[in-house]
Amino acid sequence: MTDGGLDATDPRTLPGFFDALADGELLGGVCADCGQVLLPPRPACYACGSRAVDVEPQSREGRVFSYTAVHTPPPAFAADAPYTVAVVELADGGRLLGRVTADYADVAIGDAVELTVREPTAAEREVALDYETDWPVHVFEPR
Amino acid sequence: MPQPVIASVGASPLGRTDLPGRDLFSVALAEAFDGLPDPADLVEAVYVGNQSESYEHQIMYGTLLAEWAGLRHVPAERVEGCAAAGALALRHAVKDVRNGEHEAVLACGVEKMTSAGTSGATDALSAAFDRAIEQRSGITAPSQYALLAQRYLHETEATERDLAEIAVKNHANAARNPRAQFPKEIDVATVLESDPIAPPLKLYDCAPVGDGAAAVLVTTAELAADLDRPQVRVAGSGASANNIAVAERDMTDVAGARIAAETAYEEAGIDAAAVDIAEVHDAFTVCEALLAEAAGFAPAGTGYQSYRAPAERADGWTDVQLSPSGGLKARGHPIGATGLLQALEAYEQLTGAAGDRAVEGAETALLLNEGGVADAVTVGHVLTTAEAP
Ligand SMILES: [Zn+2]
Repeated sequence: MTDGGLDATDPRTLPGFFDALADGELLGGVCADCGQVLLPPRPACYACGSRAVDVEPQSREGRVFSYTAVHTPPPAFAADAPYTVAVVELADGGRLLGRVTADYADVAIGDAVELTVREPTAAEREVALDYETDWPVHVFEPR
Repeated sequence: MPQPVIASVGASPLGRTDLPGRDLFSVALAEAFDGLPDPADLVEAVYVGNQSESYEHQIMYGTLLAEWAGLRHVPAERVEGCAAAGALALRHAVKDVRNGEHEAVLACGVEKMTSAGTSGATDALSAAFDRAIEQRSGITAPSQYALLAQRYLHETEATERDLAEIAVKNHANAARNPRAQFPKEIDVATVLESDPIAPPLKLYDCAPVGDGAAAVLVTTAELAADLDRPQVRVAGSGASANNIAVAERDMTDVAGARIAAETAYEEAGIDAAAVDIAEVHDAFTVCEALLAEAAGFAPAGTGYQSYRAPAERADGWTDVQLSPSGGLKARGHPIGATGLLQALEAYEQLTGAAGDRAVEGAETALLLNEGGVADAVTVGHVLTTAEAP
């Protein structure tokens, strides 16, 4: 194990991952033993247990794997509803859940999307934990 | 090794109730100990399934319920695994009896979900999802399962109407269950025309929010006999966690649930074909389809046929009856109590106390209780009659 030196600048921690994302770079963990992509990166591979996880930039282009619309949101997001959410399979093989900037009726499985990043809204900052307030929010835009 | 058995069960009324959580527990406990010595004379440890402190701003549920049961200076703790908390409590009790540490353990579960309204319950349940990515995207429990349902409809021949039929079947079962939150039949049109919650899931695809408590007394076979109680063997127990993020899982093969079921079968020395009844975690209609496949009752892609009579299902299906209680959908789903309500149904079915809803000849039951999205954690138990081979 080589995680003893992990600090908040390491992209295998959440602060490190979101700092890179704020700069426009999507980083994934890539297992050196089995190739599994881990989003966000972390110290160990869930697929094979290996702790040999490299950090590599990931393509921000992907396709909708599944999707829905949230009609009954958590209180913090009430003003946004209904909004579209999808699981997206990215070109390098990792999968990520996030909002899609399109109406539910205009989305289908297999649609091409691209990951973009924005600053949290005032409402999102309101419910953020102290350490999350500067973390960017990722959203998928149809291509 | 001592044989753990369930020796008694009890539950509170389910649904919107005017009792706080601890009082719901008192009602469940009173039923479970009717005709038995006081809990203080029997119970050696307590496990409490409970999802969230946000409903009543209360933790320390182990201590609280031990005290309300009249117990002091026994090991007591709350067990958390979202909606699987109840079956985790049962599993701990079973292991304590099996390993000889205790002769009688109380497994109970409680949730008071209506106290914070629908938005409070939505918020509390969202805490089960990965915070960094998923919660911040505004995902909810119904929308998480809608992602599974959308993919399931895409990959199989199932339709929205098939999912609706699962809800119809479970309401029909609940109509014969005096404990059910919704003891009434519905038709397919009612489901298909109900409000969209997260497409393709509609209101009637979703289990309700509700209050409730359940208590299950786990003892040795010898003690149950001394107490002159009908007993049901806990022949197998399994549990398995899968990734917390739904995006990282196979969205139509709930592998964690499959492993939990197979572990329980292996301990019990049976296979899926031996199961007569199963209480599965149909928090949303699609779950029953996924779990029928994970439990080995249905070939891949055909689990949605669970509502059909055995002779009308695809080749390779077993003749199991799913959720005779009405399931979470219609029996009710007070989160922390749900896994124990499943055990209660199996106890009543296997001891001849299920009345109008009795499944004739049922000797073996499978319970599958899930927490988080689908199989983020799953607990499986195999229960059999004392006479079962
Ligand atoms: Zn690996």
